[in-house]
Amino acid sequence: MHQNHAVTRRGFVAGGLASTALAALAGCGKKNAGSSEGGTGAGGTLKYYINNPVAIDPYNTQEDQGTQVEHILFDALTDYDWAKGAVVPKAAESWESNDDDTEFTFHLVKGAKFHNGDAVDAKAFKRGFERICDPDMPTPSEINYHLAPIVGYEEMLSKKAKELSGVTCPDENTLVIKLNAPMADFPTVCSHPALAPVPQAALDDPASFLKHPIGNGPFMMDGDWVADQYINVKRFDDYYGEKAKLGAINFSIQKDPTTAFREFEGGNLDMAQIPTGRFGEISEKYGKSEDGYTVTKGHQVLTGAELSVYYLAVNCEKITDATVRHAISLAINRQNICDTLFEGTRTPADSVFPKILDPGMDNSWPDCKYDKAAAQKLVDDNNLAGTEITLSYNSGGGHEDIMSIIQSDLEAVGFKVTQESQEWASYLTKLGDGSFQMGRLGWIADYPTMDNFIYPNFYSTADNNYSKYNNPAVDKAIDEARQITDEDKRKEAFRAINKTLGEDMPIIPLMFYSHNWVGSSRIEKLYLDPQSKVDFATASIQA
Amino acid sequence: MGKYIVKRVLQFIPVFLGVTLILFAMQNIVPGDPIKLIAGEKKLDPQTELNLRATYHLIDTDADGKPILDESGNPVETPLWKRYTLYLGGLLQGDLGVSYQQSGKSVSSILMEKYPYTIRLAAVAILVEAVIGILAGMVSAIKRYSFWDVLVTLSTSILVAMPAFWLGMLLQLFFGIMVKDWTGGGFYLPISGAGGPTAEFNAGMYYILPAITLASVSTAYTARIMRSQLLEVMNQDYIRTARAKGLSRRATILHHALKNALIPVVTYIGIDFGGMLAGAILTETVFNWPGVGFETYRAITQRDWPIVMGSVTIIVIVVMVINLIVDISYAFLDPRIRYGSSKDQG
Amino acid sequence: MSLKSWMKGEPVAVETPDQQRDAAPAEGTTIDAGAPSRTLWGDALARLRRNRLAIMAVIWIVFIVLVALTADLWVPQTLGGPTAQLYDARLPMSAAHPFGTDQVGRDVLSRVVYGARISLAVGLLATAISTLIGLVMGAVAAYYGGFWDTVIMRLADVFLAFPYILFVIVMLAVLGSGIQNVFIAIGVLGWPSIARVFRSAILSVKENDYVDAARSMGASDARIIMRHIFPNSVASIVVYSTMNIGGAILTEAALSFLGMGVVPPDPSWGILIEDGQKFIATQPWLMIMPGLAILLTVLAFTLLGDGLRDALDVKMKDA
Repeated sequence: MHQNHAVTRRGFVAGGLASTALAALAGCGKKNAGSSEGGTGAGGTLKYYINNPVAIDPYNTQEDQGTQVEHILFDALTDYDWAKGAVVPKAAESWESNDDDTEFTFHLVKGAKFHNGDAVDAKAFKRGFERICDPDMPTPSEINYHLAPIVGYEEMLSKKAKELSGVTCPDENTLVIKLNAPMADFPTVCSHPALAPVPQAALDDPASFLKHPIGNGPFMMDGDWVADQYINVKRFDDYYGEKAKLGAINFSIQKDPTTAFREFEGGNLDMAQIPTGRFGEISEKYGKSEDGYTVTKGHQVLTGAELSVYYLAVNCEKITDATVRHAISLAINRQNICDTLFEGTRTPADSVFPKILDPGMDNSWPDCKYDKAAAQKLVDDNNLAGTEITLSYNSGGGHEDIMSIIQSDLEAVGFKVTQESQEWASYLTKLGDGSFQMGRLGWIADYPTMDNFIYPNFYSTADNNYSKYNNPAVDKAIDEARQITDEDKRKEAFRAINKTLGEDMPIIPLMFYSHNWVGSSRIEKLYLDPQSKVDFATASIQA
Repeated sequence: MGKYIVKRVLQFIPVFLGVTLILFAMQNIVPGDPIKLIAGEKKLDPQTELNLRATYHLIDTDADGKPILDESGNPVETPLWKRYTLYLGGLLQGDLGVSYQQSGKSVSSILMEKYPYTIRLAAVAILVEAVIGILAGMVSAIKRYSFWDVLVTLSTSILVAMPAFWLGMLLQLFFGIMVKDWTGGGFYLPISGAGGPTAEFNAGMYYILPAITLASVSTAYTARIMRSQLLEVMNQDYIRTARAKGLSRRATILHHALKNALIPVVTYIGIDFGGMLAGAILTETVFNWPGVGFETYRAITQRDWPIVMGSVTIIVIVVMVINLIVDISYAFLDPRIRYGSSKDQG
Repeated sequence: MSLKSWMKGEPVAVETPDQQRDAAPAEGTTIDAGAPSRTLWGDALARLRRNRLAIMAVIWIVFIVLVALTADLWVPQTLGGPTAQLYDARLPMSAAHPFGTDQVGRDVLSRVVYGARISLAVGLLATAISTLIGLVMGAVAAYYGGFWDTVIMRLADVFLAFPYILFVIVMLAVLGSGIQNVFIAIGVLGWPSIARVFRSAILSVKENDYVDAARSMGASDARIIMRHIFPNSVASIVVYSTMNIGGAILTEAALSFLGMGVVPPDPSWGILIEDGQKFIATQPWLMIMPGLAILLTVLAFTLLGDGLRDALDVKMKDA
């Protein structure tokens, strides 16, 4: 007994020492809370989660991660105001077009400056546009398609011309852009953050511009982009518009949303995405945002709809019978997928148009809903039982869970379903080759126009038409709709095209994405728009 | 000795060429066109695609860098051997090429950003491995068949049998989540990332869990090697003689046995350092560590071949150089070995 | 003289440092194949029976194999069967679902059990492939020597110089994911170490008198290898392969965890860990259970290998 006691005591002492040591270690390890805020000045630092971006230099800004940083470093000509549902001025204070919408004249805000003090003039925009089209950049831009409507684009790309002839600068503050064909939506295209002005420095030292872009936006770089680690920006005090409230933003680069969320829970991030399966518990704890887009104290969980759709592309050359496509669509319980996997944050898709694109209008496709009996009837009447269907998707994005539910739904009405997943690179090749039957895809709109949902996905020769959909009537209707200058009539024409698509069902829309972000209680106000761009200029945080 | 080094370096060449050639040939058969992948789901404009291929020397170009087209207007693909020679030529000038995916960043600048993290992590892991492994092995050998010996043997077996990335997650679960709950956030360890200017902890704290994870398997091996070496040395005549001369067991071990038993252990650790630089993919993935392993893995999935080539090339060179250094330092540590004598060439 | 041969007994450290860390802790061997003995296997069995750890390992392996084979008869949710429809998602552990259900509503116990099938199949088949290739390569190198020896051993150097886990990943990128390709990739890349073991085993038997005798009696090369050399090295190969199985299971887990291995919805243990990782803060057992299954199974194969090594008296030092 005595022996035992001694051992226990020694164990206790050792344990005590160990835990003291650990506590000391932890004490040393944690930084003083105030120290990290020290140098940033008034306004406070917001810590925001992103993945490692492809680029933050506007010439190649493509995905939402890079855009999140780039759109506050640079101001494009215009901006899209979601509250008004219209294009509003930004770096251009006004613009006008000629009668057939082939020539646009933008009048720039006077006196605007780049972060390095250079003036933002019309030439700076021309320079920015030409960098996007320049095939001699270290790597050519991958997003030059935005400028494809402009005269001289082809010539520049194929190295026949050194400048973009369709863009001219009659004076310092006037920018004239000529288009190849009428396009009434062009000012909306100009709201894309990548179509930004750049100073001469971008040409002089492109390598450092890549890591440390100099723009005309409300925030400027604070040090270089440290790959896979962080990007720090601070308020630009010479900004021409209303100055930002935040003193600085730390974009913390994380590998994936799960990791980022752990950091959020650890208090290291102010904004993170909620991992699947945690939504209910988190929204209870932090409170849902009232409009779905704005974080305020006690209403910190964002669930607003996004401008994007998740769908199954049906290879129309492999599944030629539209009845099969309709039966599949009717058999899928979209609500169940949204509820089980996304706890009701995403909403079932009823057409290719997200509801926020055309608020208040019914654009739904008749068979884009769950109706098991109708699906069963189609299967029985047309003798479709036992039809083999292969669901293709890229592995690792959580898609396997969605596909497993779809498989179970389709098998319930008699289809024979196999899943086939590949890593992203191989999957994309498969989609491109057309060697798939049904494959999952997402479409995230570049600009909030109906055209941007219809043309790239359904025009027979469009790049993103993975369904190999070819309906001459639809092609003709799209061509015509794109040239209608009257806003309302154009929308009406696209609604009609959407209706035709609902009959053919070249894709099976599944869900509309929605935000799944949560903000910390330090945030006083922060607005995340449907295109997932944060309005950092108006955001504020407890300093 | 000089002759031996020259011979070893010459032996590197075929191995090195073999590794790079195999990797190069694989690029051609891997599904997934790297250029098409650059733009993701939204396809590239055809002219842009052509320009990108020209930039990366995937198709033949004229002096201005314009693609050369054949009679039917199609670009001419640059043959594999030509691209390989171009690559080797660049390599000799220290040029590893340019990343496909990261907007024209050079591979060397990308690797320069990543290597410090991996090297520092590997250094901490080596420290863990050396200290814990050697101590555990010593205790195990000296107190053979004791409770401690069994404990060491058992835990080394378990460490070797468990997926290291799973161990990493268990550590995260315990030190980052459970301990935090128990102490009300008073004590816990950072479970991902490598710190930074706005991070909550000082940079050193971020190394603890990844380093333990990375070191786990090697520590087990170090302990086992230490144990078996010490046991073997202690059975040798000169040790018995020392004991017979009345030297205490403790003094014998410390002054005679340990020195000789440590040589193979130190060798193992040295070589292991090279392996750690290459093999940290999973650890880096679990801990969101911005190192070379994770970067290389990402490059493979994105078909960013210049990064894959550059990273593997460097890893192979580093591992070979470390092996050589280890072999050479052997000659100094152990007078019984003489490299280059014809008698010993095996 | 090279370091490797000087270090006799620790070649594992020299050959595959990265392989051990992230994936396959293949034990190193240097073989002095024992002299032929009529009672080799009988003796060995007796010795193995006295090794309590090895017996426990065998029991676990038999258990897990039985569980995997009979899964269809008793698991709550059979794979692709009539009970494959989904339950409620993320149910906690209960009598009906001892390991709970996952995010889609699948019974996790069933998935771990079916995972055993896949992981064991990968372990056994991949090892079979690498053993087969290794034997042929090793035999050719050792028996014919000279030019072939140089070519094969240099090729082995090339394979071993490659960072192992990177090589497997690139290989799978070439072949595409999926169970068969995981067999092939792990199998094909595992040959160099077994070839070296077999080569040195042959070299040590080759000069024996009975081989000379057979040759002088006009036996063909193939016959000599099959009848005389192979049986004398079989013990070391058995030991080595047994230990390799565990390594292959670990490699498969790592690959699937990275999303390069077995393709979901097939449940391999690596995939289950990857799935469970997302819920580490709320349902940690989703990630712990499959990891435990891997640990126990790999440990069992290692202990069995150790036991066989002692029982068959294969000289390879503990590393």
